[in-house]
Amino acid sequence: MTNLNAVDPAAVAQDAHLENADVIIGKNTIIFRRFLRNRTAVAGLVIFLALTIFSFVGGYLTQWDKETIDPFNIGMPPSAEHYLGTSQAGIDLYAMTVEGTRISILIGLVVGLVSVLIAAVYGCTMAYFGGKVDKVMLFVLEALIMMPALLVVAVATSGGGAGLKRDLPSWLLLIIVLLVFSWMGTARLIRSLSMSLMQRDYVKAAQYMGVPPRRIVWRHLVPNIGSLLVLDVTRGVTGAILAEVAFSFIGIGIKVPDVSLGVLIGGATSQVQTFPWMFWVPLTVMFLLTGSLAMMNDGLRDAFDPSSSSSGTARKRKALKNRAERNAP
Amino acid sequence: MSSEIAAGPAGQPQSAVERLHVAGLHGPTGAVLSVRDLNVSFNTENGVVHAVRGVDFDLLPGKTLGIVGESGSGKSVTSLAIMGLLPATAEISGSVRLHGKELLGLSDKAMCAYRGNELSMVFQDPLSSLTPVYTVGTQIVEALAIHNHGMSKQAKEARAVELLAMVGIPSPKDRLKAFPHEFSGGMRQRVMIAIAIANNPRVLIADEPTTALDVTIQAQVLEVLHAAQEETGAAVVMITHDLGVVAGMADDIMVMYAGKPVETGAVEDIYYNPRMPYTMGLLGAVPRVDVAEKSSLVPIEGIPPNLIHTPAGCSFAPRCPLASEACLDGEPALAPVAGSTLHRAACIKSGSLGGDVDVHDVFSAPPVPVSSFDAIPREDRTTVLQLKDVRKHFPLTKGALLKRRIGTVKAVDGLSFDIREGECFSIVGESGSGKTTTLLEIMEFHKDQDGEVVIGGLSNKQAADARTKSAMRRELQMVFQDPTGALDPRFTVYEVLAEPLQNAGMDRQAIKKRIMELMKLVGLQPDHVNRFPNQFSGGQRQRIGIARALAVNPKLVVLDEPVSALDVSVQAGVINLLDKLRAELGLSYLLVAHDLSVVRHISNRVAVMYLGKIVEIGEVDRVFDNPRHPYTRALLSAIPVPDPRLERTRERIILRGDLPSPLDAPKGCNFATRCPVFAALPAAKQEKCLTLEPPLEPVVPSAAAQALAAGPLPALDQGFACFFPDGELDEDMLVVHDPADRHAP
Repeated sequence: MTNLNAVDPAAVAQDAHLENADVIIGKNTIIFRRFLRNRTAVAGLVIFLALTIFSFVGGYLTQWDKETIDPFNIGMPPSAEHYLGTSQAGIDLYAMTVEGTRISILIGLVVGLVSVLIAAVYGCTMAYFGGKVDKVMLFVLEALIMMPALLVVAVATSGGGAGLKRDLPSWLLLIIVLLVFSWMGTARLIRSLSMSLMQRDYVKAAQYMGVPPRRIVWRHLVPNIGSLLVLDVTRGVTGAILAEVAFSFIGIGIKVPDVSLGVLIGGATSQVQTFPWMFWVPLTVMFLLTGSLAMMNDGLRDAFDPSSSSSGTARKRKALKNRAERNAP
Repeated sequence: MSSEIAAGPAGQPQSAVERLHVAGLHGPTGAVLSVRDLNVSFNTENGVVHAVRGVDFDLLPGKTLGIVGESGSGKSVTSLAIMGLLPATAEISGSVRLHGKELLGLSDKAMCAYRGNELSMVFQDPLSSLTPVYTVGTQIVEALAIHNHGMSKQAKEARAVELLAMVGIPSPKDRLKAFPHEFSGGMRQRVMIAIAIANNPRVLIADEPTTALDVTIQAQVLEVLHAAQEETGAAVVMITHDLGVVAGMADDIMVMYAGKPVETGAVEDIYYNPRMPYTMGLLGAVPRVDVAEKSSLVPIEGIPPNLIHTPAGCSFAPRCPLASEACLDGEPALAPVAGSTLHRAACIKSGSLGGDVDVHDVFSAPPVPVSSFDAIPREDRTTVLQLKDVRKHFPLTKGALLKRRIGTVKAVDGLSFDIREGECFSIVGESGSGKTTTLLEIMEFHKDQDGEVVIGGLSNKQAADARTKSAMRRELQMVFQDPTGALDPRFTVYEVLAEPLQNAGMDRQAIKKRIMELMKLVGLQPDHVNRFPNQFSGGQRQRIGIARALAVNPKLVVLDEPVSALDVSVQAGVINLLDKLRAELGLSYLLVAHDLSVVRHISNRVAVMYLGKIVEIGEVDRVFDNPRHPYTRALLSAIPVPDPRLERTRERIILRGDLPSPLDAPKGCNFATRCPVFAALPAAKQEKCLTLEPPLEPVVPSAAAQALAAGPLPALDQGFACFFPDGELDEDMLVVHDPADRHAP
């Protein structure tokens, strides 16, 4: 993108003036304002950010790490020394939770972002070329949907992928497998959306100018389905986190010694009675994580939806002013 | 007699309450609908928008009020407020009385007793205002059932048939069971009118009822509305932006600007004696189809005011060429014009304006640009585009598994024409006549086309390699109909304009320079290049679209309905710009438009298309002043002219029905099914029309002219495809409104 600001400082001043004049509000500003107006969504965002920060810096707040065994505190409930208690093996639960949260968020973010990116490029390409290309690509997509994801994950992470397992950490392997199976639905959605975008005049205009197809897909189609992509990223992140938890729970996802929320929950199910903290703590963290994303998603949908009923703040301000006036005399 | 608009003794400052009081007690007797001080405001991201600010009018039974204004002037909001159809977020105040009963403040449920019964509405878009899953019969019966509980099933059905017959739907009994998709747009609008008049409403509100329709269909629908009004005696509120449409129908006009009525009065006062500069500008901005003389259109500069801030002075002052200091001092009230009680204008200078003031002087319209090519005879100019026998046929198939070919849609059938340097060639016709397909055939030229497209001397038959193709593309650029859709909302203007230049391989510095040139060329501020399209008005966006088309210096610009999405006042500016660019840059245009007034104004030559064929072609003044083909005559007569006297006495050819479906396209002359000449021909001659296809033949000068010149004259630049161009017209298809008849009770 070329910026002309350097050339013409007057234009910058003019633009700044316009921004301040409150006449023209950028689309992004409107979206941001609408998002901020949704309290739940903002709370979700705060929780999610807090959890992310916690997963990175939380480790420095304790002397324990996820591998050190404390032989004096085996299976102890939360105490001053071990904030969240210890496991049956005497490992600090707080350290494990921090580590597990980080792995879960990492998996969620990577899978959510990358799968949407794959879906966007794949879906747009299908829609742009149409015809035979579309048919072949759609066939590949359908075939992937038909594949039993669960079995493939099981095979890849346990027996079959022995060679892979040696070279890659288990969380990376899980990311790859989740990626392969998570983009198809979005790709189909994007295909139909792009097909309607293809009918827009600006795409036609670019074609008539002789702009190469690759550039049209990348410059015109992908950015214009941006709002949908943002929504799908948050949904994809939630999906990936839940999938990781589920796979780890049944023992085919992350493998010990790697820790994730799923591993922690899965390992503690048999000990709910005896060591309740081992079960409830990671479960709560997982709920906070997915819950915060769901709350954000709701607000984002509201913000991006042009037909949303989220109206301006003018009325509220006016009402307040009226009340103030009435109270004054 | 004319209905009275505006309330109370004018000139005296009155509070809204007082005015309401006066209206309630002393409102003119007999008014079906009286609106007093209607105000509507909405909440938006930017603040409170006052969409309607103080609308007053009284509607007498059987009369028609035309509300005219640009988009955003509050016309539609007014109508929706009367109907109680505004969203709950809108704040409405004032008074709307139907037979003296207050409608504002009624609950939605209470309003239902009035809506569709005493008050009814015809919407703009006939395609989306009928439910696709029910038959039209069900939908009409539904409208009857809601308000007539005691009516028997047979009675309702009988009434539905009667209604369909009234709005001119052939074989109404069978069509009752048809679904909306089986009807064309014009037919659907008729069904909408039938539903609207089902319960004999007292007030019928028509919100741009013909904007989405073709001119020939528009004429039919206006005729139906007229008939419906006579049948039911309803008062009609006709909302439109087209001054031509209301000229023939309305008794009174209310011109709205920025949510306020700025001029009201009887139709003749408004058209012949406008007292408000805005009304004058609106009238001067419309090109006339019946005037050959070429003069620039009057553009109203600027954009309507932002209704978030209440204007301190006259809301039109920023755009008004006559504005002075005094205009900024308080908003002028709607005051009676000297010498008339019913004609009111909201302008402090209304006294000095009148019918004798030339609008071109007031708005300082630019001079008519002269192209250097105008002096060169057409034959001596180089050809920029040539089409030779271009055809595009689509197979029509049936059956899911085994596709059976049941017919062919001849979207474009043997089209040949050429465009010379510096000329504007227009294609006109109804939708479905193949105009757009022709454009697509030109824009998407390829080697395997049926027929030859020659662009700048290069034929599509040679366009095998990418280099020839891009050389041809550079000669040819396109401007789209919808200025909003044609610009990527995520691109700044700079990026929009840079795209073709980057594609042409220019370096960054050259691109910057060229973009600055382009911005100046199309009349935009060069420092606006960093803005996004949504920060511009419709007219400015279309200018950006034009700048993009001109970026690579093409010889020919294809204009697909370039002004149909724009407001009248803005449209004038864009047309003037196109005129200027053609003269200055020596461009050629290929224009497709349904608005024949625009075509007449801007083009040099014109082709009339019907069902994929050219039925008449030639120099624009020849074709428009002396049309030979019956279809051209019908098209021209269907266009409303913004001149009430002329409009009321004009003879109009109303074509029957719609374009025939391609399956039952006639064998001989395509037009025979709807032709007014054909209908009046004796059977022997009809046979010829039905069996032979009339060729496109040049008009030969009449024998008298030949005798005068003593020798053979060269053929005129006009050709048509009809065997009996001078035949009598069928009387049933001619409609003349008798001025005496329309004012009868």
